[in-house]
Amino acid sequence: MDTLLGILHMCIFPGGIFALIIGFFFKGLDRRVEARLQRRVGPPLVQPWLDTAKLLTKETLIPNTACKEAFLMAPVVGFAGMAVCAAFIPVPGVFDGLYNMGDLLVLFYLLPIPAIAMMMGGSASSSPFGAVGFSREMIIMLAYETPLLMILLSVAMLIGKALNGGDWGAEFSLLKIVEWQQANGSLGLNPIMIPAFLAYLIFLPGTMGVPPFDIPEAETEVVEGPLLEYGGPLLALFHVGSALKTFVVLGLGVAMFFPGTIADSWILNLLWFLFKCLVLMLVSLTVVKSATGRYRIDQAFRFFVLVPTMLALCSLLLVWLI
Amino acid sequence: MSIATYTMPLGPVHVALEEPVYFNLTVDGENIKNVELTSGHVHRGMEQLAMQRNLVKNVTLTERVCSLCSNSHSFTYSMVVENALQLEIPERAKYLRVMAEEIKRIASHLFNTAIQAHIAGFKSLFMHVMEVREIMQDVKETVYGNRMNLASNCIGGVKCDVDAELIAYILKQLDVIEPQMREILDIFDSNHIMLTRTKGLGILPPEEAEALGVVGPVARGSGLRKDVRFDSPYAAYPNLDFDLIVEDGCCVHSRTMVRLRELFESVKLIRQCCEQMPEGPVRTHMGKIPVNEAFAHTEAPRGEVAYYIRTNGTELPARLKWRVPSYMNWKALGVMMKGCQIAEVALVLNSIDPCVSCTER
Repeated sequence: MDTLLGILHMCIFPGGIFALIIGFFFKGLDRRVEARLQRRVGPPLVQPWLDTAKLLTKETLIPNTACKEAFLMAPVVGFAGMAVCAAFIPVPGVFDGLYNMGDLLVLFYLLPIPAIAMMMGGSASSSPFGAVGFSREMIIMLAYETPLLMILLSVAMLIGKALNGGDWGAEFSLLKIVEWQQANGSLGLNPIMIPAFLAYLIFLPGTMGVPPFDIPEAETEVVEGPLLEYGGPLLALFHVGSALKTFVVLGLGVAMFFPGTIADSWILNLLWFLFKCLVLMLVSLTVVKSATGRYRIDQAFRFFVLVPTMLALCSLLLVWLI
Repeated sequence: MSIATYTMPLGPVHVALEEPVYFNLTVDGENIKNVELTSGHVHRGMEQLAMQRNLVKNVTLTERVCSLCSNSHSFTYSMVVENALQLEIPERAKYLRVMAEEIKRIASHLFNTAIQAHIAGFKSLFMHVMEVREIMQDVKETVYGNRMNLASNCIGGVKCDVDAELIAYILKQLDVIEPQMREILDIFDSNHIMLTRTKGLGILPPEEAEALGVVGPVARGSGLRKDVRFDSPYAAYPNLDFDLIVEDGCCVHSRTMVRLRELFESVKLIRQCCEQMPEGPVRTHMGKIPVNEAFAHTEAPRGEVAYYIRTNGTELPARLKWRVPSYMNWKALGVMMKGCQIAEVALVLNSIDPCVSCTER
């Protein structure tokens, strides 16, 4: 029964269909707002659906020199990883998240899967652009995973210590993290967690691959990098995976830093959660995207070491010492 | 050479390139080890075509050598024919030619700057610069009726005159565009990403620049005081007051700065043209074609354009030969690309403002 319920959560709510609808809606809105910031009209909100529908009607082409199995598996792996991930995201007041033990750690392991899928696809495609994209993806992943780990640790340690009555401890259950914050105030407003929150805001464009960190897929340098050889349903699957990832990383951010609820009604809480995700996306992805250019890979790496890692480290040390 | 060395094609069709040119890059990780350049994809045999058309028809042909500096080609071609025919064109025509040339220069420099932002992944800045450029496109369309090929030059003068109403319109548009260009200059000179991407990139030391004979903003970005408008003034330039813009950073950024600062000189020139333009006819008659040879050169947005013509008394030229700025700047890419990364190839290439269709014609 539990297994069945788990599968339902991964396929319908909050993973799978729900996450896809929200992810595509956010992507459409993101494109629209970005267009407005650049004084363009922008595509309609349903554009991601139309793009996917079009891609699904196309033929699947596999380069002769590609490693066929890895090439075909890569988008599936990326998509599946994110579909599972989405089920772990608690929607405060609506859904508690799948398996409430150590799911923060599970998420930390699952979050890099789309990037790994991208690397897999890029290297399997046997295109030199894919190879460059692969190495860039790897570098940028190393750069943003370090601050992410520190952010997760500082959240877990702060709440673990509070639950343990000030003693050393760490709490990796997202549900407990959410519940503690609902009782004691959001972490995003806690002065010692503000650096970690800022680091998370910088982590978001890094993991989503938008400017200034869209280096692995840089159009004018490596022509979409790992995605270059993909087309048709496989490319659509990459887009779907990316939409799910949008939902996951935004939802995780909201769950860790602003998990408050506004009413007892689940529908209002759901809307409130989505609204917070939307604000997070506009602030950290859309506005940043339309206000910056692209870093070179070494500059991006240096930036990640100097700014978000230091910010996250700052929070971690504060949590540890206080 | 390590195992990680492999070749990577850039072009002939590539997002970062406006025109087809093929780079075969030998890459070690992100670093470029060797650059091999192949071109010839847009060769149209124009010099041969020019020898099969009469002198008047060639104005139209030369205007189509290149899109962004189209006016410079018909301008220089008209000049070289006038030199061969020993024609003196009316004063008013000289001013009108300078005006068209400077309007094209503003549009061309803004276009190149916008493409630089696009290559650096800065989409909003690209849109911003292109939007400002649109003001100049409107001017072209209103005054000349076309957005790219102005078709304003003809042998012996210019085709279209401007009246008081059009002059008022041009001056109004210049007032609109000037503060916006100032803003763009500030963005390129202060934006963190643009500076980290372009400053110190693609170094071309003055000695190398001198030795390679580079022209235009590439030469001026390396501190060389080279500008045909100053070195051998033509048309109305001797009567006009403007500055020679030189930057000594020798990098991609200083080339961009030369282009952006030149915009204001062009605005100054157009204003002076509008004010000082004498009344009178705008073209003279061609007269008889002698057996002669002649040379003329002008400063196009990308640098010096030089035309040579030999006439044999018939309406067809015996030889028409031209040298374009990108041909001179092309070789400098080898120096600039030394030790750069994959991410920088397109930026360095764009910094010479290459015009492939000019070079290959």
